[in-house]
Amino acid sequence: MSFLAFFFIVVSLVTFVGAQLILKRAMEFSAKNGMSDPYFISRVVIGVILMTISFFLTLGLLQRFDLSYLYPFQGLSVIFITILAAAALKEKLSARLAMGALLITAGIVLVSMS
Amino acid sequence: MFGRLRAQRQSDTPARSSLPHRNLLRAGECALQERMQNRPSGLGNPWLQLGLSIACVFVSELLLKRGATEVAEPENAFSWTGVNGLASALVWWAILLIIASFISWLYVLRYVPLSVAYPLSRVVDVLVPLGCWFFLGEHISALRWCGIALVVIGLALVAKPIAKMEERL
Repeated sequence: MSFLAFFFIVVSLVTFVGAQLILKRAMEFSAKNGMSDPYFISRVVIGVILMTISFFLTLGLLQRFDLSYLYPFQGLSVIFITILAAAALKEKLSARLAMGALLITAGIVLVSMS
Repeated sequence: MFGRLRAQRQSDTPARSSLPHRNLLRAGECALQERMQNRPSGLGNPWLQLGLSIACVFVSELLLKRGATEVAEPENAFSWTGVNGLASALVWWAILLIIASFISWLYVLRYVPLSVAYPLSRVVDVLVPLGCWFFLGEHISALRWCGIALVVIGLALVAKPIAKMEERL
């Protein structure tokens, strides 16, 4: 794997995880303050932009690598999002939930390795 | 859709004060639980929307891979951006499905913690290989079956407390 490929894989992962956290926070906010608030709209716009970047980078990667090769990296997003949701959004992370996320990631990696 | 929901939530407000175990520290979590308890049924059910979102992602993944392969130009450096993928009609169908899944996903986030909803949404990682096996007759190796089993166990771990909670509601 070239450095360029690794770089784009990391960027598409980081933008995707960031977008999920920002969108979750925006939806939490909208439940209290409605959907016409400028804070909510700006967060959704940022989230959509990040997801769009991630989408096109993935599309570029798909032209070069098999889906099965790229999938383990998507699997990592489960672990990152679960941990960051607990850290940044103060969601309750039980041992059971962490274990489940870990198993899902391990499973995704195994599926695409074989 | 959201306007109707807001109206419904407001009409449910009197019930809020009667909820036990209110705690300032966990106010955000409580608010989410309340929203979940007062969630709409039918099409507005967050779990149904999560299912719809997953189904859209499942189909779009397959369309994207086919579309991207169709127009692949690996020797072209610009194609790293993936924008040349837009030349494929399949990619456009996939984009439509992704937008649909995105809208239902935002709706899900309003009711379900991200650390629960996101792991559950990865059920698609089991559905894709199973779909290839079932519909396309592709071979699944022993190692891949093990991986699928691990994902299913992980999903069960994440989902079981929710199933219990739903029974109580």
